[in-house]
Amino acid sequence: MHLTWLELVNFRPYEALRFEPTEGVNILVGENGAGKTSVLEAIGYLGMMRSFRGVPDRALIREGSASAVIRGGIAGGASETTVEVELPSDGRRTVLVNGKRPRRVHDTFLSVPVVVFLPDDLDVIKRGPRVRREYLDDLAATLWPQAGQDLTEYDRALRQRNALLRQGGRETDTGTLDVWDGRVAVAGAKVLLHRRTLAVALQTHLHHAYKEVGGSGSVHWMYRSTWDSHSAGDIEALRVALAEALVESRPRDMDVRTTTVGPHRDEPDLLLDGRPTRTEASQGEQRTVALALRIGAYRLIEDVRDQKPILLLDDVFSELDKERARRVVPLIENGQVFVTTARDDELPIRGRRWSVSEGSVS
Amino acid sequence: MFEPPVQRLIDELSRLPGVGQKSAQRLAFHLLNVEEADARRLADSITEMRSTVRLCNRCFNATADAECTICVDTRRDTSSICVVERAQDIPVIERTQLFKGRYHVLGGAMSPIAGIGPEQLRMSELEARVGAEGVTEVIAATNPTVEGDTTAMYIAQLLKPLGVKVTKLASGLPVGGDLDYADEVTLGRALAGRQEL
Repeated sequence: MHLTWLELVNFRPYEALRFEPTEGVNILVGENGAGKTSVLEAIGYLGMMRSFRGVPDRALIREGSASAVIRGGIAGGASETTVEVELPSDGRRTVLVNGKRPRRVHDTFLSVPVVVFLPDDLDVIKRGPRVRREYLDDLAATLWPQAGQDLTEYDRALRQRNALLRQGGRETDTGTLDVWDGRVAVAGAKVLLHRRTLAVALQTHLHHAYKEVGGSGSVHWMYRSTWDSHSAGDIEALRVALAEALVESRPRDMDVRTTTVGPHRDEPDLLLDGRPTRTEASQGEQRTVALALRIGAYRLIEDVRDQKPILLLDDVFSELDKERARRVVPLIENGQVFVTTARDDELPIRGRRWSVSEGSVS
Repeated sequence: MFEPPVQRLIDELSRLPGVGQKSAQRLAFHLLNVEEADARRLADSITEMRSTVRLCNRCFNATADAECTICVDTRRDTSSICVVERAQDIPVIERTQLFKGRYHVLGGAMSPIAGIGPEQLRMSELEARVGAEGVTEVIAATNPTVEGDTTAMYIAQLLKPLGVKVTKLASGLPVGGDLDYADEVTLGRALAGRQEL
């Protein structure tokens, strides 16, 4: 898959931009604040339907404008898909795929698979379990539209249960809670199964990627659950286990007025030779595992979708030592890549250079 | 800003569901340009509907009388009730001509976020009808959303102790369509609910 053209209207610093990248490596060079990352952010938005910087949509609209527009043409195989997003400063966003509204926004994930490398990727290792849950869930949604749908449903059911607990506290009507428990359990079992399937599918790619970027030892996921999900083999057993856990945690949940068990509280961890990377690996080892996670994701998408995803590298080489950079480049340079860099000096990767300044790319 | 009477109509129209500021303007100027009789007919039909139509005492469908035309129809099967979220869902099911029973309009679906629990819906009325009307089957025809599904589960939980059969609509492939046009989620549901031949 590759992006053949990108148009931005009132997006971040760009009043109007038309950018036609090459099919290979594109290097965006410019001063800090020139708008390099904004280009990557726009491409990422077409793939993930949100900013990889974790900001709300209205932060993407150019100051003083009523709305921002991102349009892109994506070629894959013989056909080209056009994806268009309009983000108004108030009201709902509009998403069009080939001029039509997709039945669900998750369908666009299939049109534009992207993998993002960020300087703060180390967060996936170092920070709390939330970032690792997001890593697994995002990747599952990129691979399988059903996973994205199931996550949305789980999130919705959970928010409903939490709203009920917030309003009722210890007086919450148990009959009503019963049915929301049931709905949360149905959706939660699916979310867990997607994570489990993903961790298994990723394992080989993660293992290879870790070796390729120079790691020694072996990396594994360890999934610590807030409920008894380990003994449950299939979806029905998972549903029953989560339903029981919800009933058991009910008194506590009523006290704290929120749901304390379920996939949204689980803790996926990464082990290096059986030791938790978060607390026991060196900084260098952590960096290598973080890289392997991104490259593993890239390989898994390529494997499942039979097409290379679009790769976005935001100022990543400034954080990598020469040795790791030398090992990473050959693994990624064959697909379409977008790299940002502040300095026009030696990068370990070759490609078409674009100069970014004052809201233009040339 | 337009002339106050025009602006007033635009404001009213734009409060309707699915009508934005632009459409409201178009509608208002359309009504200004048509024959006065045509515009008056619209105004009259709104007034008439509001003054004559009320909710059916039994099923809460829209009706001009104490009970709706379906509830008073003696040919309808009184042993089954089809539960819908809104009155506008009834004509949709009626068009299939396959359901011979009567209806019950809940008035929405359960959603704690929106402050809607069983008390805000016509659940106790449904429970009373099942007991009083000799009902043997209740079909939960709520929307296939998180809220609709949960509402269906609540209905099942509420009515099972009364010894009544509670069913919900199957979801799956649209008839007459190509398999490769179905989205993954619908196809997934159809696969999960497959039937032996």
